[in-house]
Amino acid sequence: MSESPIIAIDLVRHFGDVQAVKGINLEIKEGEIFGFLGPNGAGKSTAVRMLTTLLRPTSGTARVAGYDVVNQADMVRRNIGVALQDAAIDPLMTGAELLALQAVLYGIPATSLKKRSDELLERVGLTAAARRRVSTYSGGMRRRLDLALSLIHQPKVLFLDEPTTGLDPMSRLTLWEEVRRLNKDGTTVMLTTQYLEEADQLADRIAIIDHGRIVREGKPADLKASIGAPTLIIKIHADQNERAKSVLSTFGELRPGVEGEIGVGLQGGATQVADVVRKLDEAGVHLQHLEINEPSLDDVFAEATGYRLEGSDNAPPAGDNGLRDNGTVEPLTKKSRWGRKQRR
Amino acid sequence: MIDVALAQKSGGDLAEHSLSLSMRQTFALAKRSTLELFRQPALVVPSMLFPLFFAMLGNSSFGRTTSLPGFPKVDSYLQFQLAGTITQGVLFGSVTGAAALATDIQNGFFDRLLAAPTSRTGILLGRLAGSTLFGALQTAVFVFVLMPFGASVSAGIPGVLAMIVSGALISLAVGALMSSVALKTGSAEAVQGTFPLLFILLFFSSAFFPRETMSGAYQTIAGLNPISYLVEGLRALSLEGFTASATARAILVPLAIAIVALGIANSQLRSRLRKH
Repeated sequence: MSESPIIAIDLVRHFGDVQAVKGINLEIKEGEIFGFLGPNGAGKSTAVRMLTTLLRPTSGTARVAGYDVVNQADMVRRNIGVALQDAAIDPLMTGAELLALQAVLYGIPATSLKKRSDELLERVGLTAAARRRVSTYSGGMRRRLDLALSLIHQPKVLFLDEPTTGLDPMSRLTLWEEVRRLNKDGTTVMLTTQYLEEADQLADRIAIIDHGRIVREGKPADLKASIGAPTLIIKIHADQNERAKSVLSTFGELRPGVEGEIGVGLQGGATQVADVVRKLDEAGVHLQHLEINEPSLDDVFAEATGYRLEGSDNAPPAGDNGLRDNGTVEPLTKKSRWGRKQRR
Repeated sequence: MIDVALAQKSGGDLAEHSLSLSMRQTFALAKRSTLELFRQPALVVPSMLFPLFFAMLGNSSFGRTTSLPGFPKVDSYLQFQLAGTITQGVLFGSVTGAAALATDIQNGFFDRLLAAPTSRTGILLGRLAGSTLFGALQTAVFVFVLMPFGASVSAGIPGVLAMIVSGALISLAVGALMSSVALKTGSAEAVQGTFPLLFILLFFSSAFFPRETMSGAYQTIAGLNPISYLVEGLRALSLEGFTASATARAILVPLAIAIVALGIANSQLRSRLRKH
């Protein structure tokens, strides 16, 4: 059995007195999309910079693509693709020129360059813009070019550092599709993101990092399942509340909903919905509205860290490790543990 | 199947950087820094025009100083001034190149290069090669623009070629020193902050008057100022003709400074990489 493409053991990085990464352990299997999830300053970019040889670990070890990130750094670099959020693309160069430069850096022969470059430009939808300077590109186009640059040498392991931060929804979906396609072709992807939805949509497994430590790791479905039963919410006439509660309580713990609604955590899972509807009907309760909400990664994140990413799935709290501005986080409340619809 | 040499070897069969790959990388990075420079006319034009403006101004203001005791025998002040003009232009052009390196560090392009299997020395040399080429171009432009106004070169065509080489070497030397600042600080502002210092050093050198016409502390400072020796090497070609002595001074002085400066810059590069 071959070695996993990304392995980190007790990886630690200090910056003076600040402990950015406090000993993380990871094993990412071949062919996975692994989501590394956390707010700004949680330590995810520092971890990725260590795994991509841009930063030396203070202690611990890591092997990427079969090579040690410290002692065999050059071999690691030859075998990985890296698209870093904070690594600018030279705005004075054209897309085609940057691809040509990247090809030379990876030792791709000039005879193969044009074919490879054309293929990548077509793949990311930039053929028409290839001769234009990057300064004229939109944010989405730059990100797609960045992805193409990271793929020039056909790496088996790809690091994408917040690839869709700041992109509009359409550009984000386009990039997601491309990541899925790459993964289908066999590329192992480590994706850092602060977007819960992105991790949920793309990742086979995720790790949540907070204050430099991994606080949860697993498949998104398993992590969400660990939160508990899905919540069924019904809307009925107020005069039928007591009868409805009596029926619902036989399926699980009642949960408060907004006014006019009743919630219940279905202990038997979503498959019980049909039984609930039948029993309510038998009890003479007439449903006006019904919905079922599965636990979300938002809930997993809140459960693991004790706070929610501000503004639900999109905006994380600001600050750096140990320096987080507590005023920006939303404290975990009992109510907020029940699934995203409860909160919205 | 795409014929990508490295991809075919993915899994890590490649050993050390080959010299030819490092050279290809350095050449590609040099091409990038050159293209980048010429795509920013706002950076190129001033470092071409201002020295010419200063030369014209100096010629009309100090034209009669050529008769002062200690002034070498010249056809015109511009013939004397040509070396100072070249040095002035090249100094400022080199700051621009080093500031671009600092910008690469600030905006993360440097990280992009480091994340690839790029020759570390190639990153530095690639950037300096662009500045060096620009230094050569500046020298040629200054010579050919000022020549019709009296900036003759006694050494003739071979002398002009030697001046271009000398200008390129001065650019390399100063560019390497400024790149050390860029690598140490990672700040384009810090690099640009050296501009006034260079300006002062230039005025406290023999760029505009021969040391023989100076006196007191001014003469002492000019005697200690390395810029004086860079200027005087170039000036020897302008005034003395294409002699072995003049050519050696024009080439060897900047070459020696460039070697030392490259050592300092490389040391700063290693220091920055160690911090990562």
